[in-house]
Amino acid sequence: MKIRRTCRDVTRLVLESQDRPLSGLESLSLRLHWLACSGCRRFRLQQQFMRQAMGRWRDDRDNG
Amino acid sequence: MSDDTDFARQVEALRPQLLRFARCQLRNDAWAEDAVSDTLLAALEKPGSFAGRSQLKTWLVGVLKHKVIDQLRRHAREATVLTTDDGEDLDESLFEPAGGHWRESPQDWGNPEAQLGQRQFFEVLEACMDHLPPTQGRVFMMREWLELGTEEICKELQITATNLWVLLHRARLRLRECLQQRWFNAAKPA
Repeated sequence: MKIRRTCRDVTRLVLESQDRPLSGLESLSLRLHWLACSGCRRFRLQQQFMRQAMGRWRDDRDNG
Repeated sequence: MSDDTDFARQVEALRPQLLRFARCQLRNDAWAEDAVSDTLLAALEKPGSFAGRSQLKTWLVGVLKHKVIDQLRRHAREATVLTTDDGEDLDESLFEPAGGHWRESPQDWGNPEAQLGQRQFFEVLEACMDHLPPTQGRVFMMREWLELGTEEICKELQITATNLWVLLHRARLRLRECLQQRWFNAAKPA
């Protein structure tokens, strides 16, 4: 498995990380990619945003 | 009026909301009706055990989640049929085919706290979830609303982990795209 990844590949891994634990190599390849790629850094922040939003949404819906 | 009649009225009053939740998860009116009816029947067995409307709602939603899973299990085959929309991959439109770079770099969405404090944001988010293709929507909601683990979703729907990841991947990219268009690109009230 290669350590250098495309943005497309990094995006897939960021999404999958919400549903399965990533391997050490996968995590390392993400970190290295983020150092060099501002687009993928922003995508990662967008996903954190969505996670936060879904948590808030779920609380409101179930207990509001 | 007796307490029981009053209780029946409170339960009935929550029905439209429960139906909306069930439809959003199941994407099928008949299944949703069944899940909600089973939920309300369970509540009517227990008059007098709830202190107020909010406790009743929390309890009903908890029961509904189980009844909704029963429906998904029962209709697993139909629930996992892919429509054309379900099969469509956004990857092609997001990335250059050759080098796999972003065609258009993701934008800065700003401070979550500022956006998440606005009720309209959640209206847009719900509309975007409702617009997911049916099977993508079902698995996404199983994960985000029912909070099921991926193994459990695979077991209930009889699909492979790889199939599930693909569906969740597509759903999350679609939801992101929808929020970008309908919230972040739209003119927002200050």
